Amino acid sequence: MQEKSDEELMAAVMSGDQRALPLLVGRYHALLLGYLYRLIGGDRPLAEDLVQETLLRVLQQRTYRSDRPFKPWVYTIATNLAKDHLKSAAVRYGSRTREEGDPLVNLSDNEASPEERALAAERSREVRAAVAGLGEEYRGVVVLRFYQGLKLQEIAETLQIPLGTVKSRLSVGVDRLRNVLSQSSRGVG
Amino acid sequence: MPDPQSSLPFERPEELTAALREQGATPNEAADLLPALGRLHEWPAPQPAFEDTRLLVARLAKELRAQSPVRQAIHEHSQDRVAILLAIARAQVSLFRPGFWLVSALITAIGAAVVLSKLDVDQALVLRASGPLLAFLGTLVAFRGRGVRALELELACLPSPLQLAVARLAIVLGYDVLLGLALSLAFWLGDTGQVLELTLSWLMPLLLVVGLAFLLSLRLSASAAASVAYASWLAILTLTATSGLQTLLLVPELLGLGCIGVVLLIIALLRLRTDLPRLLPQP
Repeated sequence: MQEKSDEELMAAVMSGDQRALPLLVGRYHALLLGYLYRLIGGDRPLAEDLVQETLLRVLQQRTYRSDRPFKPWVYTIATNLAKDHLKSAAVRYGSRTREEGDPLVNLSDNEASPEERALAAERSREVRAAVAGLGEEYRGVVVLRFYQGLKLQEIAETLQIPLGTVKSRLSVGVDRLRNVLSQSSRGVG
Repeated sequence: MPDPQSSLPFERPEELTAALREQGATPNEAADLLPALGRLHEWPAPQPAFEDTRLLVARLAKELRAQSPVRQAIHEHSQDRVAILLAIARAQVSLFRPGFWLVSALITAIGAAVVLSKLDVDQALVLRASGPLLAFLGTLVAFRGRGVRALELELACLPSPLQLAVARLAIVLGYDVLLGLALSLAFWLGDTGQVLELTLSWLMPLLLVVGLAFLLSLRLSASAAASVAYASWLAILTLTATSGLQTLLLVPELLGLGCIGVVLLIIALLRLRTDLPRLLPQP
């Protein structure tokens, strides 16, 4: 049987089809968790809360039209929620540090020596710090493009900005990443 | 969609280069940026476990509107409305007796024969009178009208009374239009000239009468509605013929009459939906 598109699944969910919900959530849970985790700087519990809030908004909004691409729409909701959170007073005054905890690393316990794990964790911190230091407007486009794999037009629709602005922000964003990461690479190496 | 579990969307250097070129980087700039972007995978994202997703679905499911299995089944049935309408129409065809098909074709053939024989009669007038006769027949055969008391039975079926009415209309009008095409082909082969005008003289009054008859059938029996509609049209024809106002039935006016017929049909269909409670038999 042909796999249903996101839009078809969403239309089925809106009509009350209980079978479509697990399929749609299964497709987007990991994607949204990865996106929000990186957008807010690496806080997993907060990212999980925001994923749930995003999907709740998706279900509560009765305005979805099936002729509208679902993916940019759901990313728009997630982005706006993350922005609201980042603007909140609690975050502004740093009541919750986003640097706490070890970053996730790619090496499994069986493969890596303690030195390798320490080095991987250090490199992961560097990348996290570099992405977090981009600034909100550049971080969004970089994460959507290079971590989530969205097309340029989809990013424009998600962030509701012109295509040219997407390109210029990406250009500035990756340039800043290069500057930061090349300096840290020299430092680590 | 990229696999969120382990990989990034642009893993290989050539994919990253292509992505950078797409956003406007030159080859040299892209080469310069590759090492930094190649490090992005060093910061992986957490992956939800299957149990996490299951719990999330359970929490979200409470937000979904509760919907009965019956309503869900109806919704699934209404997904492809055109296909369903065609299926209903196909089932309804068997209810039309052979007499309907034959008499309609015979009336059309007589109209064509009169025109093609070039008898000294008003050819357009013959067609204006014979075309709506098909509408009269169609209304008699296809619609039950008020008083037959079949509405309760129809309401118990999955297709709504409106769907049944539209399906029957599609049969009647489809067959009439088919006969109209055959008629115009006959005119064209018979080299009568004014093929369009003659065809419109036949088809447009037909639309007017079928629209009027269908609207009236919401208040009258099918035979009364069809008779009133056809008699009204014959009266108009007589009036225009005797008072020398036949210029009122030229091509633009005929098109206008056809449009009025279509509007009457739409009104009748809308009224059918809103008038259902009133159309039910009173205790």
